[in-house]
Amino acid sequence: MKPMKFGIGQAVKRVEDARLITGHGQYTADYLPTGTLAAVFLRSPHAHARFTVSDTSAAKSMPGVRLIATAADVAHLGDLPCVAALGNSDGSKMPLPPYPVLAKDEVLHVGDAVAMVVAETEAQAREAADAIEIDWEPLAAVIEMTDAIAPGAASVWRQAAGNIAYDAHMGDKAKTDAAFSKAAQVVSLQVVNNRLIANYMEPRAAIGEYDAASGRYTLTVASQGVHGLRDILSKQILKVPPENLRVVTPDVGGGFGTKAFMYREYPLVLDAARQVGAPVRWVSDRSEHFIGDAQGRDNLTTAEMALDKNGRFLAMRVDILGNLGAYLSQFAPYIPWLGATMATGTYDIPVLHARVRGIYTHTLPVDAYRGAGRPEAAYVLERLVDQCARQIGMPREELRAKNFVKSTQMPYKTITDRTYDVGDFEGAMRKSLANAGYFDFDRRIDESKRRGKVRGIGFASYIECTAWGDGEEGSVKLEPDGTFTVLIGTQSNGQGHATAYAQVVSQHLDVPLERIRVIQGDSDRIPTGHGTGGSRSIPIGAAMLARASEKLSVQLKELAADKLEAAAADLEIADGRVRIAGTDRSISFEEIAKLPGATPEKLKAVDEFVPPTATYPNGTHVCELEIDPDTGVTEILRYGVCDDFGFTLNPLLLAGQVHGGVAQGIGQALYERTVYSEDGQLLTASFMDYCMPRAADIPEFHFETCNVPSTTNPLGLKGAGEAGSIAACPTVMNAVVDALHRAYGIDHIDMPATPSRVFAAVQQARH
Amino acid sequence: MPDGSRSGAEYSLRIRVNGTDHAVSLDPRVTLLDFLRERLHLTGTKKGCNFGECGACTLHLDGRRVNACMVLAVQADGREVTTIEGLAEADRLHPVQQAFIDADGFQCGFCTPGQVMSAVACIAEGHAGSDAEIREWMSGNLCRCSAYPQIVDAVRAAAAAMAGKG
Repeated sequence: MKPMKFGIGQAVKRVEDARLITGHGQYTADYLPTGTLAAVFLRSPHAHARFTVSDTSAAKSMPGVRLIATAADVAHLGDLPCVAALGNSDGSKMPLPPYPVLAKDEVLHVGDAVAMVVAETEAQAREAADAIEIDWEPLAAVIEMTDAIAPGAASVWRQAAGNIAYDAHMGDKAKTDAAFSKAAQVVSLQVVNNRLIANYMEPRAAIGEYDAASGRYTLTVASQGVHGLRDILSKQILKVPPENLRVVTPDVGGGFGTKAFMYREYPLVLDAARQVGAPVRWVSDRSEHFIGDAQGRDNLTTAEMALDKNGRFLAMRVDILGNLGAYLSQFAPYIPWLGATMATGTYDIPVLHARVRGIYTHTLPVDAYRGAGRPEAAYVLERLVDQCARQIGMPREELRAKNFVKSTQMPYKTITDRTYDVGDFEGAMRKSLANAGYFDFDRRIDESKRRGKVRGIGFASYIECTAWGDGEEGSVKLEPDGTFTVLIGTQSNGQGHATAYAQVVSQHLDVPLERIRVIQGDSDRIPTGHGTGGSRSIPIGAAMLARASEKLSVQLKELAADKLEAAAADLEIADGRVRIAGTDRSISFEEIAKLPGATPEKLKAVDEFVPPTATYPNGTHVCELEIDPDTGVTEILRYGVCDDFGFTLNPLLLAGQVHGGVAQGIGQALYERTVYSEDGQLLTASFMDYCMPRAADIPEFHFETCNVPSTTNPLGLKGAGEAGSIAACPTVMNAVVDALHRAYGIDHIDMPATPSRVFAAVQQARH
Repeated sequence: MPDGSRSGAEYSLRIRVNGTDHAVSLDPRVTLLDFLRERLHLTGTKKGCNFGECGACTLHLDGRRVNACMVLAVQADGREVTTIEGLAEADRLHPVQQAFIDADGFQCGFCTPGQVMSAVACIAEGHAGSDAEIREWMSGNLCRCSAYPQIVDAVRAAAAAMAGKG
């Protein structure tokens, strides 16, 4: 494909920037229709309790109060659905306990919503919420997964004996047992994948509006896709025809998976708007985000590798406990299972058995967060492979090279039934290690030692799956003024989709980006869509737009052919015009739009792209760091990335995605820890207690690509939104363990490797 | 906290925001952040936490950076506020804004107004002398998209550009 000034592959600056940098972004909470009322939620202070709402009359009579709703008042609304039920290994289906829009009689986690108050101002609503009288009867709560599955534990759901939501198996247990019994060596490891809180900078927000004359609802909401919310809300919760609900999502201040789900506040502000006859707005504050939004990760995994005497992997055994919290969030059960499907990673492991159990506890629901299962899988595997290397005394890179799926084996079907189409795992590793000065590392240890520090280097070779499942339909249209409009049902959460999509259109129609308008996030204007998630928007959305743009370019040439009295085959598109190749005879897009034959159908191209299967981004990240044994503080010195994303649409956007993902992984590895007290109080419920990475914590990165084009889409793209967060945790932790092992013989520490944990481990090893 | 707040007593005050004087009467509990967003509809200043922990609402009060969620509107009586909307001169972006675009210093843009206001002050305070200094003095502003390396690049470049001019 010929290079275009603004086309694909160029480091084009973002079309979104001018608005955002001047404070003119339009986020949900910036929308304040006249007469808007404020909604606040009364939330449970207990992890588990029975309750009765004894009196709301005082609250109802307070100044400005317009509506108070408890469970009894919203019985007409359906429950929040879980759409990802799994089968148990005994063939039964997992039960799906109810997730009501307001808790009735019993609360199951701190923050469980009990009542909604709508008033003229937020302050009035908060005061009224405080005045609602509730009789609480606290009950025994179970918080840790290991406690939840122990005999005699308090029960979250009577449908789920032993607090087990599901008990699913993958692979072949008998073959795995046989392989382990013949193995020359067996290496095992148990790791915690710490629970995370998404903490997008824009807290969730929703505004409900209702037009009594037409019976139509409008929800403006910070989401990851309007169509999915519209369908669930209309069909299952509000029980109105889908055409009676419009869902709009303006600018979004980060989502990371966690803004994808149906949340209780959405139907409730809509229902309230209908009842009070005015727009009703709810804006989460930061505390409410901590106790009101789904959380991420939280696995406890035991993994074992069977090796022959030469270090070849014979079989793998994995036992995953995934904390699902108290209620089943929309995709919750699927997340640990998705991780299990990536259990063997970049390695040729012929035999596997995985057991995956979802566990209920009296904690916030857990669902997808950037990577969703894949970071957990990569973390387990890459920590285990390092452990294998240490135990059998083989260099880490040699053990990996020996066991990698070779590029000559592609397409390669994993024992978990995935097919990797392309990839050069060893090539990526060699390149990344060379860039990082890996083989000169020993020279740098002494320098640290002189300053009283211990130094380590670690790396991880990862593979993940992106852009599977639903396709995406969209359109490109020539407007009368010669500009183009793109309609697409993916949803930017800040990644710069409008820029990337405009580049694709520009590639085919050779117009500057400012003449291309990308419309997202309005269920009235865009017929279908599947939002952002699973790193799908570019591999699927851009692939679809490439085809639609190409189709439109052919249609426009056909229109121009009549006018220019030439064959369409002799025409080319250049500089915003269609011209007869090699001549100066041409016609502008604006003129084409006004031709008599330019019917709406001919000025617009609609296409759909359904991915045949997932794409498989992969690569190797390397981290070098220094630990101060006297304080336990870890400082990252260098971080290098060599990733295969198939094709780079925009190097600037790509680097931003990778850096951001890696930083979130560094946060998980070194800083972020979600702590509940024994009775289920969330102790880390503010930025003072939940440690987020800040500017001083994130190093400069070395980032380069080693792209092998995917065969699954026309542009060869692989999704890039989550890769950084998948690779970074094992990379950083392998470096931490490397440093501690070289200096003190320590071969395990769990995330997050906080100063206090590292300090304690060093003290214990020294004595 | 004045006792009058619960009885609905309002305070009268004058605030100059981005060069425009506003004479208003409001509940003394209202923060400067809520006043700007809900009363003046200047929504560029963002509410990320409302506890002074994330920096998204950073603006300039009499030229110094503050978290607007930690300042009551009445405390700004008779003082001068500059928000992100007042930073550019007509169509010409402030050098810090331009540097953020050039360095790709943001993704979702929600923390960006606060980052930019913080960066302008960071440079004015003389805290942009080295990358380490920039990292430290910009660490009050969280960015979950984690454009931190690019933010450091932007502040460094803007500091150099402004020094060159001045």
